[in-house]
Amino acid sequence: MGRLRSAARELLGGVSAELWDGRSKKAIRLTRRASETGSATDCSEHQADSDSQLWRATRVVTERVRILNGLDNHGLDADDAMTVSIGPTTTAAPRLRAATRVDAVGFTLGAVMLSSVLIVTGLIWDISWHRTVGRDTFWTVPHLQEQFAAALAGLSCGWLVLRTTFAGSHAEKAATVGFWGFRGPLGAWVCIWGTLLMITSAPFDDWWHNAYGLDVKIVSPPHMVLALGMLAIQLGALLFALSAQNRSDDGAAARSAGFVFAVAGGIVVTMVCTLIEENAGVANQMHSPLFYMVTAGALPAFLVALGRAGRLRWPTVTTALVYSGIQLAMLWILELVPATPKLAPIYNPVTHMVPPFFPLLIVVPAAAIDLLLRRWQRGHDWTLAVGLGLAFVGCMIAAHWFWAEFMLSPAARNAVFGADHWGYMNAPGPWQHRYWHEDDHIPWGRGLAIALGLAVATSRVGLWCGNGMRRLVR
Amino acid sequence: MTLPRRRRARGRVVLVLALLASLVVAPPCGAHVGSPDVWFEGAAGPYPVAVVIRLPGVVPGVAAVTVRITGGAPPTGVTLIVNHFDATAAAPPPEAAARVAGDPMSFSGHLWVMEPGSNSVTVRVTGSRGSGVVVVPVSAVATRRLPLSPVLGTVLVAIAIFLFCGAISIVGAATREGSLEPGHAPDRRRRRSARVAMGITGVVVGAVLLGGWRWWDAVDASYRAEMFRPLASRARVAHGALQLVITDSAWQHRGDTAWLDRHDASVWSPLVPDHGKLVHLFLVRTTGTPVFAHLHPATADTDTFLDGLPHLPPGRYRVFADIVHESGFEQTLTTTADLPAVDGSAGGSVAGSSAGPASGATDADDAFTTHEPVPPDSTVHLDDGSTITWIDPHPLVADVPAGLRFVVRAPGGAPAGLVPYMGMAGHAVIVREDGAVFVHLHPMGTASAAAQQVLVMREPGDSTRGRLAHRLAGASPTAPPGMTAMPGMAAMPGMAAMSAVVGDTVSFPYAFPSAGTYDVWVQVRRGDHVLTAPYVVHVAAAATR
Repeated sequence: MGRLRSAARELLGGVSAELWDGRSKKAIRLTRRASETGSATDCSEHQADSDSQLWRATRVVTERVRILNGLDNHGLDADDAMTVSIGPTTTAAPRLRAATRVDAVGFTLGAVMLSSVLIVTGLIWDISWHRTVGRDTFWTVPHLQEQFAAALAGLSCGWLVLRTTFAGSHAEKAATVGFWGFRGPLGAWVCIWGTLLMITSAPFDDWWHNAYGLDVKIVSPPHMVLALGMLAIQLGALLFALSAQNRSDDGAAARSAGFVFAVAGGIVVTMVCTLIEENAGVANQMHSPLFYMVTAGALPAFLVALGRAGRLRWPTVTTALVYSGIQLAMLWILELVPATPKLAPIYNPVTHMVPPFFPLLIVVPAAAIDLLLRRWQRGHDWTLAVGLGLAFVGCMIAAHWFWAEFMLSPAARNAVFGADHWGYMNAPGPWQHRYWHEDDHIPWGRGLAIALGLAVATSRVGLWCGNGMRRLVR
Repeated sequence: MTLPRRRRARGRVVLVLALLASLVVAPPCGAHVGSPDVWFEGAAGPYPVAVVIRLPGVVPGVAAVTVRITGGAPPTGVTLIVNHFDATAAAPPPEAAARVAGDPMSFSGHLWVMEPGSNSVTVRVTGSRGSGVVVVPVSAVATRRLPLSPVLGTVLVAIAIFLFCGAISIVGAATREGSLEPGHAPDRRRRRSARVAMGITGVVVGAVLLGGWRWWDAVDASYRAEMFRPLASRARVAHGALQLVITDSAWQHRGDTAWLDRHDASVWSPLVPDHGKLVHLFLVRTTGTPVFAHLHPATADTDTFLDGLPHLPPGRYRVFADIVHESGFEQTLTTTADLPAVDGSAGGSVAGSSAGPASGATDADDAFTTHEPVPPDSTVHLDDGSTITWIDPHPLVADVPAGLRFVVRAPGGAPAGLVPYMGMAGHAVIVREDGAVFVHLHPMGTASAAAQQVLVMREPGDSTRGRLAHRLAGASPTAPPGMTAMPGMAAMPGMAAMSAVVGDTVSFPYAFPSAGTYDVWVQVRRGDHVLTAPYVVHVAAAATR
């Protein structure tokens, strides 16, 4: 053990000296070597600048120290390791008071994660309300849930920002990004921005309803402002979880942080799927090119980015499973709640809350994305984007074409699959069990080409975002 | 009128059924011009009620309903239901109206009118005399475009700028510092990258804002295109007859579902007679002394309507034609007609009024007047020597009940003994000087009796076009079977007026919708004479509503 430890000291000293000398090649080599040992640390950042090289090398070294020390690291915790590893640079890099920071940031991460899940479940509940009861007020329970979630995200992040800016230690401030003189984690800024957007949408939406009618459409400008605000809060939560994941070095901690990140991603994906469900939500749409165009335009960017940035073995699949879980939970709970319509005309006298549709089978393309991302490492992103786009559309068609057959059959009309649930405004008829083609007159060839083009483009965007997200630590 | 495409995504079936049903007119339409609110007096069983429905001017929207019980003891409760005219749809549960503070006889509530077109508001009054119901027809249409107030506009723009800058700053911060190990300051390269990222974000967010702005414009344009416009029509004088033609393509092709579908056009249901006439046509001269005529042209095809032209002074006339559809929709067609000088009327100096074929018209109930309108406090001497007096006229204010009550005296002051004029105790026609407001009132208010009858008589089988109209034609104009099927419906003053001698007073529930100078023509019948009293009134602007 003693020999190993001295080897570690040697190793650490070597790294520090090299970095201090500005010779970074060895550090990168070292980083690569470290990654081969099983560390989840990024290993192919050719363009990394000296700061990130320093940090990466430091993390690798920390990992090595842990490996060398085995279970007993004799008090060589993360901070110590960092201090040791940075060596001559400690004057520039202040020692972190990790525990304090984790308390405040951890609390806020919990709050924004709760906010994120409340927002998406509140939205699904609210849509169900509009399909079941119809009439609502500012004070319906799903609305209150949304308002609480927005307040929770905005206030907790606002508190964190003020605390860090005015009462934070030097180290705490050092782990944040600056915004107009204030300091806070990136996720906090995005959450605050999202909260403000959600608040802004309220008077806008009110005016919109007075001007153009109490629309029952999901897609309207003020609703999109609201949805963007909601999405921003969820992305803020995602960034919180992401930086926590990227900061964690320990295997188990990285896995749990990676899981939290996947949950945050799953919430975002649920939100996106809810926003597109008017065109891509129900089995009746799954034999139409529009379904594949819409999903190809909306989903790959998120799935691929989450796949590339996630640290789990199956990050995209986990994300897709989280989405499926949320959607199924809402489906299975809401369909049990008695409720009746309060608006005329009632074409379908429902007796229980109309639940959301059964989740899309995005777990299938998610598996393909994970496999492709694992097979093709960095550096081939354009080729990879083409592969991902093809795989996404291919898997979506393969999964949903036959799934739709089942979902339109009597076998799916039960509490488990929740097929054939329609809002009070939908007059029952044979359309319920048919494929819909009235809306799009797009030929399949053109539709498929558009879907593929969109999927490749959004996959490329996803890779680009994912690459950036892998580096986020603040 | 195009249907919102997105709405079809999930609600398509509703619309397809609506098209098949043919009773439903998909686009908004409405009776009267520039006067959207419904003023109604009737009886809910044993309870005389006055109902005011203030429509939001946009659909879907929330209508404010006030119900006042005008006689007897205060009721224990009032419930309201609004339902769209569609034989295949069920009504929602009734909503309890709240008692108005300080007035035990008044109740108010809010109803969500979700579908444009013919809707019914069912008022149920419960009290010591049991329970009574009355149905009030409502033609809900998009009639107004709400401007964005400067305050709200400024606030929204300010927030948009703030959030725009915020988004750029966040992206800049993320690029500059996001991937930097704690404690390290960004170098020049990162700062440069951040500036580039901020620039790109600015362009992207700017493009999103611009896109949103254009989207808003598109929604607004689509909304304006779908705002209520009556069927297009044309009126002209040919061979001594007045000809009104409904020229609207959607109407001309009303039986051609393929054409309608191809053009995404409205589906109109057939016309039904309203107090015996398919069309009530009103001519109002735009220049010189106001001249007023109330005509009832006949038709063979419900496209072209012909009537012998009364001897009216020449000039340009506004033409208002009231029609009621089988679905209960009421609408007023508007156009103009140039009347040439004919013998005996040249120069527009003819003063007089008349009715019936003797005056040159072809319908026995046609009537006109060329008398100079008088202020409300004047007693009007009618053609048969009787007089009509506005009871207790007071200064008129927009949106405040106008108190349109009149008493008619026979020569010498004896009771006039009015008889129904086309089934009604009286008719009043109100036109604002500029023609932007037109309303045709009866003692039951702004609503059409035929529309009310349609809504009461509708049955689930009425999804077949013409079925209800056929049944309606067989129903007695004075006591339609559907009206008696519901308790208390036959006792409505307006309906009772269709059959009984109506005494010598007549009143119309109404409030002028806006400030301005209005011409008011009140029409009653004594014996064989239709008597028309012209008034001119000035309406002051409402303080605040």
